[in-house]
Amino acid sequence: MDLEERLGILAENAKYDVSCASSGSRREGRDGIGNAASCGICHSWTSDGRCVSLLKILLTNACIYDCSYCINRRSNDVPRAALTPEEVAELTIGFYRRNYIEGLFLSTGVVRGPDHTMELLIRAARLLRETHRFNGYIHLKLVPGADPLLVEQAGRYADRVSMNIELPTRESLKLLAPDKNRDAIVGPMRTVSGLITRSREERRVSRKAPLFAPAGQSTQLIVGATPESDLQIIRLAEGFYNRLAMKRVYYSAFIPVGDSRHLPALPGPPLLREHRLYQADWLLRYYGFAAHEVLDEARPDLDLAVDPKCGWALRHLHLFPVEVNRAAYEVLLRVPGIGVRSAKRIVRARRQQHLSFDDLAKLGVVLKRARFFLTARGKRLETLDLGESVLRALLTAPAPRPKARQLSLFDGVGGDESVSVLTGEL
Amino acid sequence: MTSYLYDGTFAGLLTVLALVREGGEETTSIGTAPPAQAGLFAATVRVEADAEDAERLLDEIGRRMSPATAAHLYHAFLSETEGAEMLLHHYLRLGWQEGRCLDSLLSHPSVLPVHRLAHRVRFEAHRLKGFVRFREVREGFYYAPLEPDYRVLTLMAPHFADRFHDQDWVIHDVRRNRAIVHGARRKGWEEVALELTGSPVTGGREEWFQSLWRRYFDRLAIAERHNPRLQQGKVPLKYRRYLVEF
Ligand code: SF4
Repeated sequence: MDLEERLGILAENAKYDVSCASSGSRREGRDGIGNAASCGICHSWTSDGRCVSLLKILLTNACIYDCSYCINRRSNDVPRAALTPEEVAELTIGFYRRNYIEGLFLSTGVVRGPDHTMELLIRAARLLRETHRFNGYIHLKLVPGADPLLVEQAGRYADRVSMNIELPTRESLKLLAPDKNRDAIVGPMRTVSGLITRSREERRVSRKAPLFAPAGQSTQLIVGATPESDLQIIRLAEGFYNRLAMKRVYYSAFIPVGDSRHLPALPGPPLLREHRLYQADWLLRYYGFAAHEVLDEARPDLDLAVDPKCGWALRHLHLFPVEVNRAAYEVLLRVPGIGVRSAKRIVRARRQQHLSFDDLAKLGVVLKRARFFLTARGKRLETLDLGESVLRALLTAPAPRPKARQLSLFDGVGGDESVSVLTGEL
Repeated sequence: MTSYLYDGTFAGLLTVLALVREGGEETTSIGTAPPAQAGLFAATVRVEADAEDAERLLDEIGRRMSPATAAHLYHAFLSETEGAEMLLHHYLRLGWQEGRCLDSLLSHPSVLPVHRLAHRVRFEAHRLKGFVRFREVREGFYYAPLEPDYRVLTLMAPHFADRFHDQDWVIHDVRRNRAIVHGARRKGWEEVALELTGSPVTGGREEWFQSLWRRYFDRLAIAERHNPRLQQGKVPLKYRRYLVEF
């Protein structure tokens, strides 16, 4: 098979890994080629609207394991292909020099065993760093069960490493991925977390101390293939953020890739649920929410009709409205429709002037939802006495549609939501 | 009532702004060509760009207001929007009164439009950092054409000079016939006038990489998530002409 054909196959099967982050690392282009920009740059967008910033590819799609949800599983009858580490390095450099990409995201099926596979990945990364003197971004996938020494080596060459937790619970993992076990996944995550902390400390003492995964580690799990509640998922994510200092948790709506008796038959991938999970995740990471505020045993699943911040506010109407000229920054962040950028602009502008609703509009603060939860100069635009159910109806009213609009998945949830589909930004 | 004419350079504009700062009579217009309907009694003053005046003004703006103010000024200027010069004049006027607070007056009619213009220019410059597509036209020499809305090349140059400092490259603003030319091995970059007739020839290796990239890109989309509206918002049609993958 020629390289182009193999590239096609290996890209096809890597695309389900959603992580596109290429930021959070700062390597300067001293000698050799490239740098890693600390704010991410997207180079293109696919027809499903996802950012393309990395050459995301598998070293091989052959695999000795048989995870039911995975297109590469041993028992699946698909064409197999492989690239050599040398080919991966050459492709990466060729694409990078043409400014197609920010770097490489290299994953793989398991060949022979975890250690052998891990060695191949490391070899590709080492070729890039040492032979090609490449300073761009590298994300390496870790193979469950690989030797801790290899994990350590991977982090020396990579900006980010990741190991997919795959499924929210031990039981589900056992059912769908019989060759993997939870400890072989969480163990290396701990190792990585420890090594990242150590490297940061060493580098505080000496700038010459070696880097270890400066952009941190991330993980991914599949949503909708198993019966776990959103509460279980969000708690798991909270644990990753708090205890393992994970940079990102990615959620991937389950897309049936071949039948298995263990898998549910879904009408389509649960994309809206995935979207709500990203939003809930955003609340954890940026807005100071705890998992138990977003969901609890009485309400274990996210409301598909409103975003989780709106949902929280509707359950806490007694805390609103807040006065835009006085409320603390953290409080502003909890107002539905106000994001980090708006909150910052408000805080800055109100040092100079007493803000009215008109001023807010001029600042670019979107009042569509926020209007129900704010007063400005003591005045309000809407009354909250409407009660939760009326308010909820108002908040979920579909946005007026432009005429020639494409049918989209998010119809009925407000057009502006589509931009946050992958980040969950609120 | 006076109309000021300058040469279209940033230094030229700064020279005018330094001049009108003291002037008593109301400035009616600043531009590169005389206004279509100059009032009967309006005077027209042609101002020569003075690098020293310009430098001094920028310096003072940096000290009295902030370096960010100077940046807003430059970025809004790069928008080449009609009437931008007068907006900058009003912005600066207010700045001399308000000093450090100027850029916190986010909704002030003299501040808001300038911030908006500057933001649009920065946004395009950032976005285009991803959309530049180099092609290797000679061994080790790379060329990328662009048609930006605004004059953003100088804002993009430092990023590419850092990233591809071992590469000879040109980024060409085809619409304005300007280009950034970069020499490998620390020769640095400069903005020059450049007009090309015909498009540069590329070799087989270049074609090979382009077709690899197209193949890769085509395989990326997940059919179940098809959403071309979102894609079009992210990659507007106007930028697609030079994108290898479209
Ligand atoms: S180990 Fe990875 S590649 Fe192999 S079947 Fe499981 S998920 Fe797929």
